[in-house]
Amino acid sequence: MTEKRISHTDLEGLLGRLGERGDVFAPGKDEGGDVVLMGPRHDGPVALDYRNFRLSPKAFLLPQNQTLIRFEDGKAQEPSVPDRETFLFGVRPCDARAMSALDKVFLEADPPDPYYAQLRAKTAVIALACTQPVSSCFCTSVGGGPGDGAGADVLAVELESELLLRPRTAKGEEVLAFLGDLLTEATPAAVKEADERIRAAEDRIAPVKIDDSVQRLGHAYDSPLWEAAGQKCLGCGICSFLCPTCHCFDITDEVRGGTGRRVRTWDCCAFPLFTLHASGHNPRPTPKERWRQRVMHKFRYAVENFEQVFCVGCGRCVRNCPAGMDLRTLLKTIGA
Amino acid sequence: MTASHEIETLLRETAEKLLREKKVNLFLGYEKASLPFRTAPLFLTAPEDAQRLAWNPFCSANLAVYLPRLFKAPADAREAALAAPPTVGMVLKGCDARSVVALIQERQLQREKLVLVGVACPGMVDMLKAQRAVRGCEVLGAGEDAQGNVRAVVEDGTEVTLRRAEILADACQECRTPMPSIRDIMLGTAVENKDTGVARQRTAEFGSKPLDARWACFQAMLSKCIRCNACRQACPMCYCKDCLLDQTRPKWVSAGSDISDVTIYHLVRAFHMAGRCTQCGACARACPVGIDARLLARKLSQEVEDLYGYRPGEGIEATPPLSTFAMDDPQEFLTEPSLIPAPYHPAGEAQQGGRAQ
Repeated sequence: MTEKRISHTDLEGLLGRLGERGDVFAPGKDEGGDVVLMGPRHDGPVALDYRNFRLSPKAFLLPQNQTLIRFEDGKAQEPSVPDRETFLFGVRPCDARAMSALDKVFLEADPPDPYYAQLRAKTAVIALACTQPVSSCFCTSVGGGPGDGAGADVLAVELESELLLRPRTAKGEEVLAFLGDLLTEATPAAVKEADERIRAAEDRIAPVKIDDSVQRLGHAYDSPLWEAAGQKCLGCGICSFLCPTCHCFDITDEVRGGTGRRVRTWDCCAFPLFTLHASGHNPRPTPKERWRQRVMHKFRYAVENFEQVFCVGCGRCVRNCPAGMDLRTLLKTIGA
Repeated sequence: MTASHEIETLLRETAEKLLREKKVNLFLGYEKASLPFRTAPLFLTAPEDAQRLAWNPFCSANLAVYLPRLFKAPADAREAALAAPPTVGMVLKGCDARSVVALIQERQLQREKLVLVGVACPGMVDMLKAQRAVRGCEVLGAGEDAQGNVRAVVEDGTEVTLRRAEILADACQECRTPMPSIRDIMLGTAVENKDTGVARQRTAEFGSKPLDARWACFQAMLSKCIRCNACRQACPMCYCKDCLLDQTRPKWVSAGSDISDVTIYHLVRAFHMAGRCTQCGACARACPVGIDARLLARKLSQEVEDLYGYRPGEGIEATPPLSTFAMDDPQEFLTEPSLIPAPYHPAGEAQQGGRAQ
């Protein structure tokens, strides 16, 4: 199926149509003026003037609190599976790419993770190409790009007066077919304009020299830089919880009598509790080892296991670190 | 007030000298960060690196948070023999000094192991307020002009001036002691401490809302919490070796972000801060989702001040109310909740009204 287009003024109608089929989340301004992925939406304006959302959309596939089993009167029950579809409109390509990384962990595993799989199967991602990258973005240095469509079902590109819609998966083609009468065929001029816009955005993203950092990390386990990073790290979970690819979790039973639940919650390698053994021993006793784990997992172990760096260059950890730490600086210098 | 760049020069000289003469093993300061409107903490050990030290309107972090770690009690005699506690130099503002004082009072630091380099603080910039002031434009660089205002270069190359007073952090607007109350060396000229009244005004403003509206505000605010622990980790006064909120046997609070767990998390922190919070604003600054944890902490601090006349960290000689007891201590708050006349005002009718029986 070929590319389609829709005028800006018809975008709300498009989302309304999707709303007939499932829950639609689209960019909207919250009370503080920040643009967030808002929904389930019914009507109202879509905010297209945003760089990226403060929180990554990974929670749609890996909720921060996910009930796996309910216990009632001593009996275990599977929680009901969502039967409605979810449409995510406006996810940036970096975050969509992160979903493709999560797929490798949760879907390509043996056995696949059923909880993730259920949500992923019901979710369609309509990514929106980046036209306004910021200085903390570095997607082009980690295999992505402002027009990258990995992980997305449809890639939309915002043009002067319309949106170009590029199907990326069979699900994406099906969604565009469903929207059929609202869309028109893309003109060669529109396709050209989209490519130009993506290229212009690419040119604005400063490359980070980290292509050999995977090799450098191979002999950097004892680098003094870990100590330096650990010294500054406050041990909070901002970098992990805002990261679109971080996916470590904890499972706990919350039971009183015979009633309660087994719940999966996000976890974070910066937390002291993360590797604390029941004996009291902690193999990662200080922030130094925890920082090393975080970087090694993303840039070395993930490459060994999944042939993909588990960083999409969204820059959230850089922008939000309360200690002003910049992952890029460490990657440039580690093991060099 | 002395200009920032002059302070910066003095600071570099001072730190270089302290390290070169081996008066300190480590000097804690700020350096330029990779993004505008902020700095990063700098752990200096080599005198020649002192040139990296920065002093500008973005030195908002409270570096006292790193001190308890450096003075952590040794686990055993072997560990004690291996490493003597370091001597640490540190640049500090009024709020950082309050934290240092409170930590010394709580026996977390050894005064004689600290060389405190004080600066009279003109108030630091709130990164989010600055970003809002440029209306979300990408900022390429930012600095300070001769009047102490912030000059920022935005993405299209234009320069804008942001008035410092308008982009100051909330905690800085409320600050009553910008002069470091404890210091060994003072850089630049002193400023006069004065109560701006802003803190009381903000508490009163929130307190004047009906109960339902206040509860709705709390719920809306806390529902954004992602339990990243940044407020706790950034807080110099949160140094517990095993935090109640992290305990697993028993597990008091679930790790997730369900509203009940989030509410408990924030209430526990607020209560543990009563009479201890130095109002530095580190918690609010660290929060990635914009929760103002100070809303509760500020109110509780004011309660403690009204009841015991105590302001945390303002005088090293003062005794923190949590570590002392006097027969005539006010204790109306021990009353059964149902007996407290509403609304409860510590200075008002409650003091006559609701004594525990």
